[in-house]
Amino acid sequence: MRDRTHAWMRLGQVLSLAIALLAFGPLSRSLAQAQTGPIRVGAPLPLTGPLSPEGIKLQQGYEIWKDEVNAAGGINVGGTKRPVEIVYYDYQSATPKAVQLAEKLVTDDKVDFMFSPFGSGATKAASTVAEKYQIPTLAPTASSVEVYDQGYKYLFGTFTPNDTLSEPLTELIRAKMPNAKKVAILARNDLYPLAIGVEFEKSAKKRGFDVVYFEKYAINTLDHASALTEIRNTKADWIVATGYTNDMILVRKQMADLGIKAQAITMINAPAYQEFIDATGPLSENVTSAGWWHPAARYKSKDIFGSTERYTELFQKKFKYVPDYTAATGSAVGVLLQMAIERAGTTDRVKVRDALAAGGYDTFFGPLSFTPAGQAISYVPPIFQIQDGKTIVVAPDAVKSGDLKLGVR
Amino acid sequence: MLALQILVNGILLGGIYASIAGGFSLVWGVLNVINILHGSFVVLGAYMAFFAYTLLGIHPYLFVPIAALLLFAIGLAVQYAIVNRVIDAPVLVSLTLTFGLTLFLDNVMLNAFKADFRKVNLRPPLGIIDVSDYLPAIDIIVPVDRLASMAFAILLVALLYWLLRRTSIGRAIVAVRMDRYAASLMGVDTRIIFAVTFGIGAAMAGAAGALLSPIFPISPLASTAYLGKAFVICILGGLGSVTGVLVGGVALGVLESFGAYIFGPEHSLTLSFTLLILLLIFRPTGLLGKRGFI
Repeated sequence: MRDRTHAWMRLGQVLSLAIALLAFGPLSRSLAQAQTGPIRVGAPLPLTGPLSPEGIKLQQGYEIWKDEVNAAGGINVGGTKRPVEIVYYDYQSATPKAVQLAEKLVTDDKVDFMFSPFGSGATKAASTVAEKYQIPTLAPTASSVEVYDQGYKYLFGTFTPNDTLSEPLTELIRAKMPNAKKVAILARNDLYPLAIGVEFEKSAKKRGFDVVYFEKYAINTLDHASALTEIRNTKADWIVATGYTNDMILVRKQMADLGIKAQAITMINAPAYQEFIDATGPLSENVTSAGWWHPAARYKSKDIFGSTERYTELFQKKFKYVPDYTAATGSAVGVLLQMAIERAGTTDRVKVRDALAAGGYDTFFGPLSFTPAGQAISYVPPIFQIQDGKTIVVAPDAVKSGDLKLGVR
Repeated sequence: MLALQILVNGILLGGIYASIAGGFSLVWGVLNVINILHGSFVVLGAYMAFFAYTLLGIHPYLFVPIAALLLFAIGLAVQYAIVNRVIDAPVLVSLTLTFGLTLFLDNVMLNAFKADFRKVNLRPPLGIIDVSDYLPAIDIIVPVDRLASMAFAILLVALLYWLLRRTSIGRAIVAVRMDRYAASLMGVDTRIIFAVTFGIGAAMAGAAGALLSPIFPISPLASTAYLGKAFVICILGGLGSVTGVLVGGVALGVLESFGAYIFGPEHSLTLSFTLLILLLIFRPTGLLGKRGFI
C-alpha cells in the first residue's frame, strides 16, 4: 500500500515537472524575446463615431512619433535598440468599450505600456485597468483634475488643469483693459466646455470683473440669437464663449448678425483649429483663445524631434496640414514614454513609472513634469489670437510671437 | 425693445426652419413616407452651394435653383430605384429604409468632404440692417442673409402652393394624397407621382441647403439636427398643409427664441420637444392640419 502511494507521488512529481517545463519553456523563450523584440504600446482610440476627427488626429500623432523612432533604429533600452509597435483598437467613441479594449490590450495583447483613450471621461474610466495591472499609462487629452484624484500611481497626463488656460488669459486681458468692468460668458452645457466656462468666471471675478451674464446652451443648439441679444444688452467689454468648432462658428457669426462689438472675444477651443478661421473668415480677427500647445510655440527639446519647429515641419510634410494640439499631444506622449524608458534603461514597468514620476522632460510640446497625482504642471499653455487670418501666440513671453490686440469686427 | 429684437430673431429663424421643413412635409403628407434622408439632402445641398461658391464663385442664392434641380434628379432616382419598392409596406419599413440610406449618405459625405466644419463666407458679407438708423426709436438689428433666407422660404412655399394648385401634375399629387386608389382609377400613374413628389421634396431640401450655407456651419453630422426641426414643424403646423409649414416654422422659431430668453438657452430644445408631445396629445392634426393636402 505504502509503495503504491509512493509510486503515485513519484508519477505526480514527474508529471508536474513535465507540465512546468511545457508551461515555462515558451514563457522563458518569450521573456528572452521580450528583451530584444519590439516594445508594445496599447492605444484604444475613437476612430469611428462622433469623436473620430480627434481620434484620427491622435493616431497621426502616435504614428509620426513611431515612424521617427523606428527610422532611428528604435528606443535605446540600456544600450539595446528596440523598435516600437502600437496596437490599436477602435472603441467607436463609446467609453464602456474603451475600458473593455484597454483590458483586452493588457490581458490578450500583453502590451508593455498604454496610451489612454480620448478625453477626460474615457481616460478616467480606463485608468482603473492600467492601475490594476500596473501598466504605466500616458494620457494625451485629459485636462480635468477629477481624472487624477483617485490616488493612482501609473497614470500621467500631458494636459495641465483647466484653470491654467483661464488664469493667464484673464490676467492678460485685465492688463490690457484695466478699466473694463463687464464680462459675459456663454458655455456649452457639456463636461469640458462648462468646466472651463466656470474657470473663466472664477478667474474674472478674482480680477475685479463683474460677470454680468453666465448661461449654458444645450448641445446641438442651432440658434444663439436670444442669448446673444441679452449679451448685447449687457454691453459687456469681454465676451467668453466655450464649445466645439461648430458652436463657435455659429456663435461668432450670430454675434456679427446682431452687431455685437465687444473689446475682446475669447473662444475655447475652436480657434485652435484652422477650420474655424476658414469658416468664419474676417470674423475670426482678434478672437483670443488658449490651448495646451500651438505650432507657433518655440520650444527647443531633447526629444527625437529636436524642436517645436521641426516637429511641425515633419508633421505637415507627412499629413499635409498644420498639426493642432490634439495631434501634438499624441506625439508628446510618445516622446515622453521614449525618454522615460531611455532614462530608466529598462522596460521594467515600476522603474519606468518612477522615471515618469521624477519628471524634467524637455519635449517639443513643452517641459513636462507631473504633480504627485500625475497631471502635468510644468508649462504655461500658450495663449493665442487670430491676427490677419493667422494664429499669433501672445503669451507666455518665452514663446510669444506678437502682442494682444483689442477690438473685434 | 429686447423682446422686440427676440421676436424678430424668432421670426427670421422660423423662416429658415420653414425652408428646411417644406419638402419633408410634402413627402410625409403625400407618400406617407417619413423621409429620414431629408436632413442629409439639406446637407448635400449646402455642400454643393459651398463648392459652387468657393470653386466657381457662384453666389449661393443664384445656386438655389441649380441645387434644387440637382437634388430633384437625385431624389427622383432614389425614389424610383429604391423607395418605390417599399411604398406599399407599413410606414415603419420605409422609415427604416430611409434611415439606412441616411447613414449611407452621411458616411459617403464624411468620406468625400471630411468631418471639418465649413461655411460660405460671402465676400463682401451681406451685413446687417440697423433699424435705428432709419427709425431712431426702434433699436433692432436685422441680419440681411437671414432676411433673404426668409424671403426665399416664403417664395419656395408659394411656388409649391402654386404647383399643387395650378398644374396638372400638382393636381395629380393632391389627388394621390387624398386617395391613391381612386386617383389611379382616374388614370393617374401613382408610381410616377410618387417619384416626382419625392423629387420635389428633395429639391426643396437642396434649395434649403443652399440658403443655409452662409448661415450655419456645414458638416455631414448636421443632418440629424435639421431632421429634428423638420419633424417638430410638421407636427406643429400640421401634416399635409403647405401653409402649415410656414406657420409651424415661424411658431417654432418664435417659441424657441422666447424660450431661450425666459428659461435660458439650455432649455430651448427641451421646450420645443415638450411642445411636440403636448400637441400630439391635444391636437394631433397640428395647428393647420387637415385631411387631404392643401
